[in-house]
Amino acid sequence: VYQVFENVAQKYDIMNDSMSLGIHRLWKDVLLHKMNPSPGTLLLDVAGGTGDIAFRFINYVNSVRERQLRRKLKNHQNLSWQEIADSYQEEAVKPFGDSQVVVCDINKEMLKVGRQKAQRLGYSEGLSWVVGNAEELPFGDEKFDVYTIAFGIRNVTHIDLALQEAYRVLKPGGRFLCLEFSQVNNPLLSRLYDLYSFQIIPVLGEVIAGDWKSYQYLVESIRRFPPQEEFKAMIEDAGFLKVDYQNLTSGIVAIHSGFKL
Amino acid sequence: SAVRCQLCPPQRALQASAALRRVSDEHKKEPAASSSQHQFDSHPTDQQPEQEPQGPRPSYTGQGGQESEDYESEEQLQHRILTAALEFVPEHGWSAEAIAEGAKTLGLSAAAAGMFHNDGSELVLHFVSQCNTELSELLEQEQKLVQLGETEKKTTEQFLRDALEARLRMLIPYIEKWPQAISILLLPHNIPSSLNLLTSMIDDIWHYAGDQSTDLNWYTRRAVLTGIYNTTELVMIQDTSPDFEDTWRFLENRVADAVNMHNTAKQIKSTGEALVQGLMGAAVTVKNLSGLNQRR
Repeated sequence: VYQVFENVAQKYDIMNDSMSLGIHRLWKDVLLHKMNPSPGTLLLDVAGGTGDIAFRFINYVNSVRERQLRRKLKNHQNLSWQEIADSYQEEAVKPFGDSQVVVCDINKEMLKVGRQKAQRLGYSEGLSWVVGNAEELPFGDEKFDVYTIAFGIRNVTHIDLALQEAYRVLKPGGRFLCLEFSQVNNPLLSRLYDLYSFQIIPVLGEVIAGDWKSYQYLVESIRRFPPQEEFKAMIEDAGFLKVDYQNLTSGIVAIHSGFKL
Repeated sequence: SAVRCQLCPPQRALQASAALRRVSDEHKKEPAASSSQHQFDSHPTDQQPEQEPQGPRPSYTGQGGQESEDYESEEQLQHRILTAALEFVPEHGWSAEAIAEGAKTLGLSAAAAGMFHNDGSELVLHFVSQCNTELSELLEQEQKLVQLGETEKKTTEQFLRDALEARLRMLIPYIEKWPQAISILLLPHNIPSSLNLLTSMIDDIWHYAGDQSTDLNWYTRRAVLTGIYNTTELVMIQDTSPDFEDTWRFLENRVADAVNMHNTAKQIKSTGEALVQGLMGAAVTVKNLSGLNQRR
């Protein structure tokens, strides 16, 4: 698995776009919307290599913060000048709030691409890049508010260990979110999807990234991944409560959510 | 980590079987897609915030979702979060933010607000349901006092006025953000629940007012009182008089109108009946006079 991602790191984003016809951006947006993070949230994004989720999280939290500030200002219309000046000072100290993202990936190459992307897009604050294995996270207990793993958990050898680690590092009340390929429930679409996966994706892989085998592996790993209900049971086994899933694009992708209560 | 892995499976098996035992004994009305576990993971560090002794809670009843005293169900935790969130409503409105703040006061992460709808619907519904329960208890107590003879029985008019006033007064702490709550209650996906709460509240009030009717009256009474409640609520949210005097005066007038109309309706009915009888009598007299009634 390590070598697959070492090969694909540079072209990862381009391949994502071409394989899913750009829809993966929508899927990730839905994930963020579902998370609905408030300012001050600590996010751990596992297997988040190139930082897609992390950047979206930062954007979301920033816009929420702006909205809150604007609302506060509206309510402050009749304050004295001194009080207004004081409130400006208070905000200047922490413009980003204290939301933070830690992007963790087992693969240094993916993190490198992610860091470069962050620099290019101008994200400077609140981001950390850590190398780590999802089955054995290098973090203490109960540190994070939200744990996400987008299109990463199917590559983990022992999924139950990853789920247990997720449970461990989450604070009480924390949320586990997993965005992953899943079983299509519509039979017609399922046939088309199979056709597309096995015939077109490896070809795209060869043409764009020069690597047929990695993308063949990708498609097979998608097929091997347990279906929605089974995965939900696995999450419950790890101790999460109120576990639920939402199918996107009629099951091509599913978002599973659980809470540590 | 090898050692850790060895310890893990037996612990999990224990959890799973404990959960199953509880689930098979319970009869719970939870939405189909959510999990079937009803216990808290006995993780040592997070025991304090959630498992506080809930006082004299009825012990295991075997139905209705009550757990044995050691564990709290998810629904109960959700209720606690929503109750805690109410104090943040004046600042954040009826929203996921208020719920997140409420969760934080209970020692949970703000991400726990993700358990609820993004638009704050559950918070409003929870509050309304709480108010209705409070109102029922109030009316129940009043009824007891009347039965014991400690207070006099009120007229229907006075009773309705007082009940509605008491219920509306519960909105006062949140009156600034109440228009937002009304609009949330009117969202299509909330209408079944909000309508349900409204009708059961009105039912309650009429029940304690001593309504025994089983005919068409039952519907008209409920419709009338619902109308009075809704219009008074709307008057209240833009009332700026001290202690909402204008609202209570409006309420007084509406209830008086309704009662008058009812009395008038009764009068019309009895007058109508008397009229019909008079006509029937006149018709019989005419028949007699014209000799049609005679038997040959």
